[in-house]
Amino acid sequence: MHSATPSEDGHPAGGFSVTAHEVTCQQFVELITDYFEGALGPATQSRVEEHLVMCDWCVAYADQMEATVGALAELDDREAAQPSEGLLAVLRERQRI
Amino acid sequence: MQTEIAAATAHISDQETVAALRRGDEQTFRDLFARTYPMLKRVARGYVASDAVAEEIVQETWMAVIAGIDRFESRSTLGTWIFSILTNQAKTHCARERRALPFSSVVPMDAEEPVVAPDRFQNDDEAWPGHWATPPRPWQRPERRMLALEAREHLRRALAQLPERQRLIVGLRDVDGHSAEEVCGLLGLSQENQRVLLHRGRSRLRAELETYLDDAVA
Repeated sequence: MHSATPSEDGHPAGGFSVTAHEVTCQQFVELITDYFEGALGPATQSRVEEHLVMCDWCVAYADQMEATVGALAELDDREAAQPSEGLLAVLRERQRI
Repeated sequence: MQTEIAAATAHISDQETVAALRRGDEQTFRDLFARTYPMLKRVARGYVASDAVAEEIVQETWMAVIAGIDRFESRSTLGTWIFSILTNQAKTHCARERRALPFSSVVPMDAEEPVVAPDRFQNDDEAWPGHWATPPRPWQRPERRMLALEAREHLRRALAQLPERQRLIVGLRDVDGHSAEEVCGLLGLSQENQRVLLHRGRSRLRAELETYLDDAVA
């Protein structure tokens, strides 16, 4: 399963190569971002999708990754940013020009 | 950045924004400042060691923008121009702090360690080598509720503790919502390197949340 044979589209997964036969869970967790980003070659993409059909645990892992990305989008990282008084003073100078 | 500026000024063109800044229109300026602040600070923070210095760089950038707005000739978009001023300011601080530029070729990519501990998978002498030995536990309603509430603070801290470049990429992509193309274009980063940093950052944050939620519901 952890063959050194290059995959059909040569996509490495965490130091492994994906064989024509199967993606392991250990390979899947390294391929997941490329999968989400649509960056896998067609052969590896098919293997990943086949793996997900058969592996509930990797579905749970993918779901956790999605929930993590979703929680990041919800982070209220927008600080109450205010321009400094010095900056406003320079801007107001322009109003007099 | 260009998206932020476009969104902040959706009802007016770049040209009108420039005209408003030239006449010192405070409302246009405050809107633009607030909308672009998280992104500018995040990028500046990639170059320097503290939030305080990054904040200073953003203020200095706007000072240079206002001072130079009469010379802006629309050869690039306003967003690109502001961003180039920011990166120049940040690089100057970076050199002063004697730090390596975050995306320079002399800085190696983060070490290629597995994102999930190898001992969570079966060994070669077990029935299903490479498959889960200690699988993730699906997050059910209690975990999801926590994710919406108190786990958020934990996630915020975990994000702050990521290695610099991972923190920058995850922040720009997942918190601020910029596309891969925008991030690569602005930072001069290859798509592949961007994905590696995103992958390592997101995976580490998932693992942090898993530990936190498993402990909390145990």
